[in-house]
Amino acid sequence: MRLRLGLIFSTSGSYAALGQSALAGALGAIEALAEAGQVEIEPVIRDPGGDVARYEAQAAELLQDGVRHILGAITSWSRKDMIPVLERGGGLLWYPCPYEGFECSDHVVYLGAAPNHHVVPATDWIVSQDLGRVYLVGSNYVWGWETLRLARERLQARGVEVVGERFVPLGSVAHAHVVDEIRALRPDCVIDSLIGPSNASFLNDLAAAIDAGARPRLVSFNQTEADLDALGPAADGLVSAGSFFEEEADPRLLRAARDRAPNGRVSAFLASAYAAVELFAAASTKAGGDDPRAVFAALSAGPLPTAMGPIHVDPVMRHAGLAPRLAQAGQGQFRIINRAASPVAADPYLTGDAVPPPPARAELRVVR
Amino acid sequence: MSQAVMHNFTGRRAIVLHHADEPLRRISERCARLGVAAVPRRDTVGPACMEGIDMVILDIDTGHDAQLPWAAGQAPVPVVGLIGSESPGRLAWALGQQVDAFLPLSAIGTLFSALVIAHDRFAAREAQRAREAELAAQRSGRLDVIRAVLALMEGGRDEALALKQLRAFAMVERIPIEDAARRVLAQHPATRAGKR
Repeated sequence: MRLRLGLIFSTSGSYAALGQSALAGALGAIEALAEAGQVEIEPVIRDPGGDVARYEAQAAELLQDGVRHILGAITSWSRKDMIPVLERGGGLLWYPCPYEGFECSDHVVYLGAAPNHHVVPATDWIVSQDLGRVYLVGSNYVWGWETLRLARERLQARGVEVVGERFVPLGSVAHAHVVDEIRALRPDCVIDSLIGPSNASFLNDLAAAIDAGARPRLVSFNQTEADLDALGPAADGLVSAGSFFEEEADPRLLRAARDRAPNGRVSAFLASAYAAVELFAAASTKAGGDDPRAVFAALSAGPLPTAMGPIHVDPVMRHAGLAPRLAQAGQGQFRIINRAASPVAADPYLTGDAVPPPPARAELRVVR
Repeated sequence: MSQAVMHNFTGRRAIVLHHADEPLRRISERCARLGVAAVPRRDTVGPACMEGIDMVILDIDTGHDAQLPWAAGQAPVPVVGLIGSESPGRLAWALGQQVDAFLPLSAIGTLFSALVIAHDRFAAREAQRAREAELAAQRSGRLDVIRAVLALMEGGRDEALALKQLRAFAMVERIPIEDAARRVLAQHPATRAGKR
């Protein structure tokens, strides 16, 4: 069988490291499938260069060209921009990244970690470690807003004090005020939802400002090996939640990383993109063609084998079930400290969350 | 909006009112993934059906007032209207019912947004109703306040002092001034009867 697959990843621009890692996984899987003589996939590659405005146009261009499946997008902004185009063109987006949840488009397959795979286990871990005073910092867009909102609500409901919450513009490295505030407030833990260059610069500045012994515990919901090297020793001790870490990579993923990833590392982005191609190939084969509805029906009929292990995509919520892991960084590596025994169904709207809704605002009236 | 936005519906129950199997099935499935138990109905919703129900999701295309156990616009729970054909007459009916949120059947993947909006709009409508009832009660009590002030002036006080006394009484008793006026009048039967 011969298939075409659009690959829209920013392999240049501010979060290029993540796009390069995902593209390496996708191309590695395409190569492995061709070698095995199973499915021949023609990749149609586009690089939006980290410019949010270009995703929509590039997706439209691919759909017009007859491509019906696109693997791509790193940020939620770019995904949300492509969805209307996919709706009009009848295409299907295979999205391989962790995201903040609260979405379920009929034109997307969600293969990355949902909030019950990252924020929930990470905040549970913070509570289990008796880290009583927590500071939140994130990039000023939907990933930062929603992950930190959820973290704040969950932690406060368990009696953890949130001592501060700050947002930094996407791509900005002007965060001296955040570092100063952390130094003054001395929290036990900093939750870091910054992405890209903001993150690397922030962690390095924090490491320079506070001695290793006095440094608060760092927690991230999306740090992977894709850009871990850029953080250097500043990342030591950081605990990250995710659906995959390099430690568990099998030879197929290691080969894709070695041959194709600029940094030679396996990350959750690389592994998910690799698995996405495998799932696309298997479901298209089962469906006997690339009609997106038929492919999704075949995909969601039951678990399919991938290099990450068997993956089942829920037919109604369209998200992959994943086994959440927590891993701790040290000397440029992540070591898994906690792993769910089996895949957990994604719960993008957190319906299984027992935390009560935020309290109603006090209603005050003038008494005459 | 007087409350924080509600965004977790786990454990709630929704009547899903639609005549066709496919939308009933799809919406019930989607409800289940949001933690909401769907109670499918094909024809009418009687008052007994509303027992333990937290919201209603209904088909606008075939909906009519007699199907529902409340007067138009007086639903006791948040209502989501499913948009199918977009005919102006049907939309007018839904607006007359003061449906709290609309959900196109072609986009039921956004049911969550519809539930959030419906619950918030419903809370706002309830608050509005409560304010209107309070204003109506105040208006209907105006005459009693005047009578009570006149009654309190009998001891030779002027009207400002009488009103101050009535207000102090209401404040101490923690009741609206209209209720305080009625209590004062209950102790002055002659005044109440307008026999001055």
